[in-house]
Amino acid sequence: MMATKKLQAFPTFSVRDVLLRFVSPLLLLAMWIALYQSQALPSQILVSPLQVFEAGRDLYQSGELWTHLQYSLNRLLFGFAFGGFAGLVFGTLMGGSKLVENLCGPTYNTFRQIPTIAFIPILILIFGIGETFKVVVVAQAAFFPVAVATIDAVKGIPRSYHDVARAYRLSYVQWVKRIVIPATVPPVVTGFRISLQRSWVVLIAAELMAAESGIGQMMEMGRQMLRIDIVMVGVVLTGFIGFMLDWGFRRLESRLIQWKSN
Amino acid sequence: MEKQLIMNNIRAFVKLTQLSKLQGFLLPIALLLLWSFLSHRSNAYSYAFVPLPEIWAGFVADIRSGELLGAAYGTIHNAIIGLVIGSTAGFVIGSLMAVFRVADLFIGPLYHALRQVPLMGWIPLIGLWLGNGETSELFMVSLAALFPMGLNTYEGIRHVEQKFLEVGKIYRLSRMQQFLRIILPSALPSVLTGLLQSLAFAWLSTVGSELLFTNGAGLGGLMETSQMASKMDMVVVCIISIGIAGLILNSGLLRLSKHLLRWREVA
Amino acid sequence: MKQISVFNIIKLVLLSTVLFINLQQAFAADAVKEVRIAAVAYGKDGKTGFNGSAGVVDTEGWLRAELQKQNIKLTWVAIPPQSVATTINEDFANHSIDFADYGDLPSVILNANGIDTRLIVPGGRGNNVYLVVPPGSTAKSILDLKGKRIAIHRGRPWEVSFGRLLAANGLKITDFKVSNLNPVAGAAALVAGNVDAFVTLSDAYTLEDKHLGKIIWSTKQAGQDWKMRAEVWGTKSFIDQHPEVTQIIATAFVKAAYWTSQDANRETYINTASLSGQPADVLRREFSQDTVTWKARWSPLFDDFVSNHYRVVAAYSKQNGLIRTDVDVDKLFDRRFVDSALKSLSLESYWVSKDAGKDVAKDASKLAPKT
Repeated sequence: MMATKKLQAFPTFSVRDVLLRFVSPLLLLAMWIALYQSQALPSQILVSPLQVFEAGRDLYQSGELWTHLQYSLNRLLFGFAFGGFAGLVFGTLMGGSKLVENLCGPTYNTFRQIPTIAFIPILILIFGIGETFKVVVVAQAAFFPVAVATIDAVKGIPRSYHDVARAYRLSYVQWVKRIVIPATVPPVVTGFRISLQRSWVVLIAAELMAAESGIGQMMEMGRQMLRIDIVMVGVVLTGFIGFMLDWGFRRLESRLIQWKSN
Repeated sequence: MEKQLIMNNIRAFVKLTQLSKLQGFLLPIALLLLWSFLSHRSNAYSYAFVPLPEIWAGFVADIRSGELLGAAYGTIHNAIIGLVIGSTAGFVIGSLMAVFRVADLFIGPLYHALRQVPLMGWIPLIGLWLGNGETSELFMVSLAALFPMGLNTYEGIRHVEQKFLEVGKIYRLSRMQQFLRIILPSALPSVLTGLLQSLAFAWLSTVGSELLFTNGAGLGGLMETSQMASKMDMVVVCIISIGIAGLILNSGLLRLSKHLLRWREVA
Repeated sequence: MKQISVFNIIKLVLLSTVLFINLQQAFAADAVKEVRIAAVAYGKDGKTGFNGSAGVVDTEGWLRAELQKQNIKLTWVAIPPQSVATTINEDFANHSIDFADYGDLPSVILNANGIDTRLIVPGGRGNNVYLVVPPGSTAKSILDLKGKRIAIHRGRPWEVSFGRLLAANGLKITDFKVSNLNPVAGAAALVAGNVDAFVTLSDAYTLEDKHLGKIIWSTKQAGQDWKMRAEVWGTKSFIDQHPEVTQIIATAFVKAAYWTSQDANRETYINTASLSGQPADVLRREFSQDTVTWKARWSPLFDDFVSNHYRVVAAYSKQNGLIRTDVDVDKLFDRRFVDSALKSLSLESYWVSKDAGKDVAKDASKLAPKT
């Protein structure tokens, strides 16, 4: 997982290193168990890892977990795809054209600072309360990091490339294909990765606030019922999913960097 | 070429205004007109698209009573303190992990696992463990700021070019000197990017945690109380204020980072 | 291996801090220096005000002065209105409050989870719950809405009132497409035509005033124990260890109830309450045309309305999976403080204990959800 990347970063590794990786998670687990067994904290505040596991198993067996997960992942997928694509297009325009930048810059920079959650009532009015609305919330969150990265990447294309393009009389399509894309792919992919992470954060927040399904909603209901075990299942699960998404994207990133250098 | 013509026309029109800075106002004005149009469509629309005069009246009333400025101050204050604590911690953790291999192996897995938990997902746990007061909010904001900073510091340091390090070796710099004179300056751009990202997350988290718990202070709290009282004009005022306050913070930090990186332009 | 030990220490410190905070809070009760009361708050012009009876107690200042005489500090813990139930329950769980003025359903959930709190001063008859439909809707009653989309914030006290309405009409919550939305989102959904009805509190009148909705039913048309209740709860451990301090608090709230319940103070109360953002006019209508008299509305007596109401809440929560264990409702009430408060204020005969009698009994058998 993360290991592959870091093993590359550090030239050599040994069994000791691999073992060391497990020390801190295990230590945390041990402390958790110790703290639980000392009964220093009431059971409503701290549940044992076993109880969390059991709550997770129950939720899985009742099919509840899977339903919530499906809803959340669907929203994430569509919202991220739409928002990311829009961010890419907008970012290219903003980075490539002084006019667009002048026109949209201030508005864009202001909107960028407003947490998606704040738009919820207005979004409900426009998009209703169905899945569209939740996808839009995610898309809005996904839009900005991609746009930011794309703008920077496009602006960062060295002047000399422009001169080369002019010298070779490249058409617009060729210019995008031959120069813009290769020069901007790595930072833009990083933008996508941050965007995915942020979409996930916002989706969970939105589900905590207004939804009838999804992992965030499962956690919120758990919170209301003081079922800390369910909340913990949510924390572990969302963390794991976030980890996997991030890992996948990093793999993609290193592939692209390899592809670029070839 | 027709496209070109249209573009030229637009450009000509824009040039009419003579000041390119003014162009930035065109879109907001268009949006305001659209808003105004929507707010007059029906009762239902005017519920969320509050008529502009009402928003203005709400804005003026809020400024007069000092409520809006007080709330904005509270939010900015919390965001900055959280940012300072979180990004400092992130910097320390990131540097430790990048410089000491043992630290990387030891903290790394936990760090990467924890940073993937969506921020708001922590709220129920933090609420239970640390209460629902300011401590929790500060903790949330610091946590939000910690992860991007840690990550960027780590990557910045790990990507320091080998040749710089070799120069350090030639000059027989101590480990500390090497860190301060070579590693840190060359990692600085990445660290500052981290700081900007940290600000974005800290800001999101400040407003988010104000909305989801805490003591009702701040812009998020004001927005929530206005929502509960169905005062949509106030809600809109809050949304705009959140945007503007965030913009000010962000551009302040950008200035700072440009200032800190000015030596690179010369070099 | 130096870093390891450093990191270990950091972690230990962090964990022990958490522990310490909790222990400190737990032991704080041994010598009362401070009483922490949580109540729903609003900000107005940079100052914090409190809703309902807590607001009256706060402005009156009697409680603060009385506690001061015993060198006890009074701390109001301001709770934002959006998540009162969860916030207060969490604060009770981590010992950061001793008392709270809040709702019925969360109190039952808290006790079902093994955190013992007691109701010390009932808050009167409670708040009305409303069923709102879009202005153009043809629906006249809940029966017309069968199979339609309804917005309600699940797990909130008003869900129980809605549940009783359904049970009374032989309906189940699964007969509707329920959208779990908070009041703000719910109102937006109703306005946008995304739902066919919306269950909420007195903000229903705000929607009606803006011609965005039409109230077709409210708990005003139902038994008086149908209303959503909010009242003074305290932790069992605090109450048991410091009955004399608890008594002062109970007396303060009874005193506040007495003040509010006088017709002469009605307008003053409404105007103060309107600072929270709810227009005075809306509050006036919330209180008018009801079967409850103004005086009885604030009755702190433990009568059948209270116990019957909680029995329904407990049954509903169990039935709908909000709690897993049965709650013995009678154990939730600690009646002694109100009695002696009334005595010390010479108000023993001011409120009449309404033996709801047949009226409620009939209601209960007919309307309580079938278990």
